[in-house]
This record gives sequence, structure tokens and C-alpha cells, in this order.
Amino acid sequence: MLKEDFVIQSNIRRMLIRTSIDCSRIDFGTVKGVVYIRGIFQISNPPADGDEAKTVHLTIHALYSLEKKVKSIPGVVDVNFQFFNWRKERGHWVPVDVREKEGEDENKPESNL
Amino acid sequence: MRTSRNLIYKRILGEVEKEVQLHPNYADLQNQFALLLMVKGEMEKAKNHFLEALRLNPKYREAILNLGFLYLEMRRWKEAEEIFLPEAKQYPKDGFIHHVLGILYLRAGKQKEAVAQIYKSIRYHPFYRDYYKRKGVLRKGVIRLDQKAERALKEIHLNFHYAQFQNFIGLYLAKKGKSTQAIHELRKAARLKPDEFIFHANLGTVHTYQGAYLRAIQEFQKALKIDPCYGMGYANLSYVYGLMCRTREALRCMKKAVHMSPQHADLHYNLALLYSDRRRYEEAAIELKKALRINPDYLFARINLGVLYEDQERWKEARREYRKILQITPDDEHIRKRLERIS
Repeated sequence: MLKEDFVIQSNIRRMLIRTSIDCSRIDFGTVKGVVYIRGIFQISNPPADGDEAKTVHLTIHALYSLEKKVKSIPGVVDVNFQFFNWRKERGHWVPVDVREKEGEDENKPESNL
Repeated sequence: MRTSRNLIYKRILGEVEKEVQLHPNYADLQNQFALLLMVKGEMEKAKNHFLEALRLNPKYREAILNLGFLYLEMRRWKEAEEIFLPEAKQYPKDGFIHHVLGILYLRAGKQKEAVAQIYKSIRYHPFYRDYYKRKGVLRKGVIRLDQKAERALKEIHLNFHYAQFQNFIGLYLAKKGKSTQAIHELRKAARLKPDEFIFHANLGTVHTYQGAYLRAIQEFQKALKIDPCYGMGYANLSYVYGLMCRTREALRCMKKAVHMSPQHADLHYNLALLYSDRRRYEEAAIELKKALRINPDYLFARINLGVLYEDQERWKEARREYRKILQITPDDEHIRKRLERIS
């Protein structure tokens, strides 16, 4: 039996805040069990030494973890990620040029967290 | 309170100081830093940061009150009065401000003025009526300021900024994922100032993320008892009921949240989900349209509206919504497929 969208939405809200993701630029919605997550994806605690390679590694780990957690919420039938700075290509997360993508969507609503 | 010895406190102070250096134009950071300094006893430095917060945002009420308490602590009665009197004029029914003015006058040796303010605080806030009774100040409806009562009252003015401080530490720990410690600090804040709804709301939020839903409900209900107009409190209660799959109660609370805060598109969106889940599609569509009127670029509200129209076989309207979505996100394959299917 499908779970209700509001229940899924409440679970995602709670789950996002409990992760190491900076939720201030992320927005999400649920339609018939399909979850949409959109915005700029960043981890909330990047390495203090500013090591970019380490940050990318941690971010990729956080993305896979997020995907797994969202899919494990009862009633979720699919997840649609629409990040401006990360894209999944052939099963792998790859960074995207943010300036280029942000320009495409300047009217992104405020985060609903 | 020997907070300067506390390791957590020291670490937080160091991190906030770095943040202030990085973002000197953030009034809230200046206020938080000043609060930490004040509790540490660095009064002059704290004053400068409160003043900086107020230069950046002259209407920042928390910083105004904190500065007032700092002056009280520094025994600078006149400057404290210059802060609290206008507050009392602006919020004449705020019992807490009258209570603080009462303490201020008492400490400044102005007993008559102190009594007048204490009467006002009792009139406007039932909490203070009980409080003064407990302290033996209010006896048979009359304020009696004997030496013992004076001593007790003089001590409690510290509660406000200590409570703010504990609240800040609690929120900081919660952000770091340390829910148990956060709850401990937030409880201290709520004990120091039990009539402050935001402390209970914060406790409710941390309990929610910890998974202690019944406790979360209790705290949100306490917050709403103190401030029945706190719309987001009803929204938070609704989310907790959602997490418990108690959608009937979630719907009731979300309706109240929307009623209290009709300007929040997100609340209309969540109410629409609740209606849609109960197959009340007409009401769901109305709420989604309200969300879109507030924020025409609210993508998810448009997706839900498109799907709702499709379910009702209102193909033309569904196509219109899907096309608008694809203008915003041309890569959305889900929506493209949906559009192709009904075109």
C-alpha cells in the first residue's frame, strides 16, 4: 500500500536535517510517492583545511547516502534529484558548473525546511 | 554559573568569534558573540558587539533586550531604563518587560516605581502573578517588598540572558547533531524562563529530530499555550503527527498553521498534500493555487497541481502545468513523459 505524500514529506524533512547536508539551499516535494529534491547540494561541514578533493569525496559520499536514505522511506517509489551543482551520469555523481546552471534558474524558491 | 570553565562553551566561543571575523555584517552573529562574552563577564566587549548588532539592524529586539540586561548587570540604571521604557511603551501588555522594569527600579532604589511595574506585570501575565506569590512578594493581592523579597528578586534578572545563552548553546549542539546535550541545555533555558515560547518550540524541534515524538508534541503544545498565534508551532506539530502517521491530527494542525500564517506558500503546499492524501482533490487544488499565487515559481506546487489535474482527467489544465514546469526544468524526464502521455 502506498504511504501518504504528507507522511513521506515529513520524513524527508526530518531526514534532511539529520544528515550532514547544508539544507539552506535545498527544496523538496512529493507527488504520488515520487520525491523531488532540488537546489544547491553542499555538505554542512566541509574539511577545515579547505582540501577540495576531500570535499568532493565527502560530497559524493553524502549524495549516495542521501539517495539510499530517501529510497528507504516507506512509500517512496522514486527520487528525482535536480541539483544545480551535481548530476548523476551513468550511475555516478559528477559536479556541474554552478554558475552556468544557476543562471538557468534564478527564480528558485526559498528552502522549505 | 561557571560557564567560562566549560569546554563546550570555550569551543563555541572560539567558533563564533571566527564566524564574526568572517561575517562582521551579520547582526545575529554579533548578538550571539556578545551574549557569550557577557556570560563570560567581558562586559565592555560584549556591549560593543551588541551595539554593532544594533547598528546593523536597529530593530533587532533580542539584541536590544540583551543590551538592556547588560546595562542592568553593569548597574548602569539610566541606560537600562532608556532601553526598557520604550519597549514597555511599544509592547504595553508584555508582562515580562514590566517585570524587568520592576527589578531595575528595585535595584536602583526606586521602590515606588518598582511596585507600579510589578503590578503591571501581574496584570498582563498570569505567570508573574504566580511567580510573585511564590516569592512572597504578592500577598493577598498586595505587593510587599520586604528585604527578603528584594533579595530574591534582585537575583532573577540574570535569568533572561542566561536563558538566551542556554538556548543558543542548545541550538548550536543540535546543529552538530548532539541532540541529547542540546535538549539538556534547552531544558535549562526553559527552566530559567518558562514563559518563553521559543525555548519550548526549540525543544520540540530537537525532540522531533531525535525521534521522541510524544515529547515533541508536548513541547510544541507548551509553546502554543504561551503564544497561541505561533503559526509555525502548529506546522511543526503537524509534521510530528505526519511522522507518526496520524494524518487526521496533522490536517487539523496544518489548517491552523495556514490560518495563522497564510503568507507561507510551503504551508499551503503541505495542506494540499494532506487534502490530496484524503482524496479531497478540490481543496488540494485550491491550496496549491494559493501557494502558486504567493510564489509563482514554486515548482513542486505546480507538479502536484499538474498531477492532480491529470488524475481528474482535466487534460488541458494538466498539460498547461506540465509545460510551465518544463520551462523551468527542461531536463525533468518524469514530467516530459507525463506530458507526452496526455498530449
